[in-house]
Amino acid sequence: MSEFNIIKSKGTLDFNKKKIKGIMVSEEAKTYFQDAKGNVVCEFTYGELKELKNVRHGGMSSTISVVLKDETAFSATLIDGLKVYNNIDKFWLNKPVMAYSRAEELRRLAELRGEKVQKVKKHLIKRRHPNRSIGGDIGIYILLACVAFLMAFPLIFAIGSALKPLDELFRFPPTVLPEHPTLDNFSDLIVTMGQSWVPFSRYLTNTVFITFFGTFGHLIVASMAAFVLAKYDFPGGRFFFNVVVTALMFSGYVTGIPNYVIMSKLNMIDTYWALLLPAFAAPIGLFMMKQFMEGLPTALIEAAHIDGAGEFRIFWNIVMPNVKPAWLTVIIFSVQSLWNNSAATVIYSEAKKTLVYALQQIQAGGIARTGQAAAVTVVVMAVPILIFILSQSQILETMASSGIKD
Amino acid sequence: MNSAQTQSFAKRYMTMKSNKISYGWSKAKRMKVCYLFLAPYAILFFTFFILPICTSIFYGFTYYNILEKPRFIGAQNYINLVLQDEVFLTAVKNTFVIAVVTGPIGYILSFVFAWFINELPKWLRAIAVVIFYAPSIAGNAYTIFSIIFRGDAYGYLNSFLLDFGIIDAPLLWLTDPRYIMPVLIIVILWMSMGTGFLSFVAGFQGIDKSMYEAGYVDGVRNRWQELYHITLPSMKPMLLFGAVMSITSAFNVCDVPRALAGYPSTDYAARTVVTHLFDYGFSRFEMGYASAIATLLFLVMILCKKVISAALEKVGT
Repeated sequence: MSEFNIIKSKGTLDFNKKKIKGIMVSEEAKTYFQDAKGNVVCEFTYGELKELKNVRHGGMSSTISVVLKDETAFSATLIDGLKVYNNIDKFWLNKPVMAYSRAEELRRLAELRGEKVQKVKKHLIKRRHPNRSIGGDIGIYILLACVAFLMAFPLIFAIGSALKPLDELFRFPPTVLPEHPTLDNFSDLIVTMGQSWVPFSRYLTNTVFITFFGTFGHLIVASMAAFVLAKYDFPGGRFFFNVVVTALMFSGYVTGIPNYVIMSKLNMIDTYWALLLPAFAAPIGLFMMKQFMEGLPTALIEAAHIDGAGEFRIFWNIVMPNVKPAWLTVIIFSVQSLWNNSAATVIYSEAKKTLVYALQQIQAGGIARTGQAAAVTVVVMAVPILIFILSQSQILETMASSGIKD
Repeated sequence: MNSAQTQSFAKRYMTMKSNKISYGWSKAKRMKVCYLFLAPYAILFFTFFILPICTSIFYGFTYYNILEKPRFIGAQNYINLVLQDEVFLTAVKNTFVIAVVTGPIGYILSFVFAWFINELPKWLRAIAVVIFYAPSIAGNAYTIFSIIFRGDAYGYLNSFLLDFGIIDAPLLWLTDPRYIMPVLIIVILWMSMGTGFLSFVAGFQGIDKSMYEAGYVDGVRNRWQELYHITLPSMKPMLLFGAVMSITSAFNVCDVPRALAGYPSTDYAARTVVTHLFDYGFSRFEMGYASAIATLLFLVMILCKKVISAALEKVGT
């Protein structure tokens, strides 16, 4: 069977309470584990299998646990994904193959062998979870629908107002949705922006600049600290993390006054540093990153150590690619706070103000600008909400490890 | 106990201590690359989070207006706060009411809705999470409430109530001291499904499904028992994280009252500790006085967190 690919992957085997480093090889008929000297440690054919679980840790590492019919059990943590040796062209495919479930694996094997793939029919009605009454379910659905309406109503109202022409904005009785939706308010907003003393593009550049560099620096600085806090036990590390957890509570307002004093001592008032440097050190990013990194298998780092990689290479080439969901979360929290930062207290020059500040000035323009104010609200809220919608699954994956263990 | 024995005790204790220190020191030296990784963050964190707290404790005992050098005045700031500043007492009362109402209720609502949302099918769950989470990240979308609660007949709520004949003249929701607090509480609750809520949603999804099946075999019969005996104990870390987030938002109420009720508000009815702090810090530049307020706020928040983590220890056992 020359078309069939051998799947090889490097990692640690956990067998009889011993840890052995080596390579796991999956061939057409059997899978075996070779230690560093090339001896076969354990071997099984697919017929002997009772259970096979494949848990992916994100990125390229995964843990495979196997139970055979004679109750022998072992597990292997594989670090560089499942590399595929292509027998036809005689080279290793560089792209790691994602780990898959047993059913998918069988389907893949069959595909590789050129057999016809049997499709498994999905059950239309899922087996109901035990302990659930239908009445309770219906109650929950109705309650959630009502509350969701209440939650969404102000936002819908805001969007509706932004689309209303002027006569509808002041109609009595007021309406929620516009009868003749128009984008006039948005074009008026652009006109107003164009007339302002500092060009509109300047505000936008400022915000983009601050958001980009603040987020980038925060990601690097916080990830480096999170990596050592999560994976090494060194004196002072745990204490430092506890301090960070307490600092989660001290949001911008409470530290605002003393921070202002410190910044004025450091001559940073009215420069971007006053916004960027505190953003680099935001506790929430370090917290999320550290909690997520703790979920990475330690074997991954040990294996790299044995291969002679230094800490910085481990951090950059192994840890960082494996925590991409956490990157996104950290980026999103940082972008949200920087985007919404009007920086009114530390920046005085008009040319350095942020977009949100400029928009709020328009919003404060009174009755004549009611329509534009509604348009501003929509512009400001659209960015964080859109980012959240696009990255929801990654954020939730990271948040799953967000708990504080005492 | 004779003196020789005591001395040897003390001596042994000292050697033990010094061994421990030298062990820690040698370990620290071996792990110096760790400190290298930690250093950039630690320096920034110290400058912008720890140092401000320390300086605000220091300035709390001084008269300081940025232009002149701080002048030490002992506990005078604190004495003035409690005995002379009536507005501060109003602010404390308001903050207390907001924190006591929105903190626990927001926390419980976040948990309950995260729990309900978890029962939904996957595609519906994604939509529900966005709807519930959106208000807390929607920038200053809460300003829309100033139209909904506007005091004249054009205000949405007033026109609605007038239409149905519940009231016969428009109510001044945002300027009448009687209505300001309830309105603020509603708006803050609307925004309370924040990071803690997300953490709960993720926590529910992360619970091992086989635990519920095991529970079913062991005699768990409805979703309430399931919640108390299986879900809550496995979510303790998320519960603590959510609590920290709730405390933060409950005590740091500032933007919402300023935007809705005006700054200053009628009869200081919407004054909170943080708006008071802003008033003294950035309008009057009395940094010493503002620092004293900030210090008090720190202490209360830390105390709250301690109480809650002690209470959570007992959950679900």
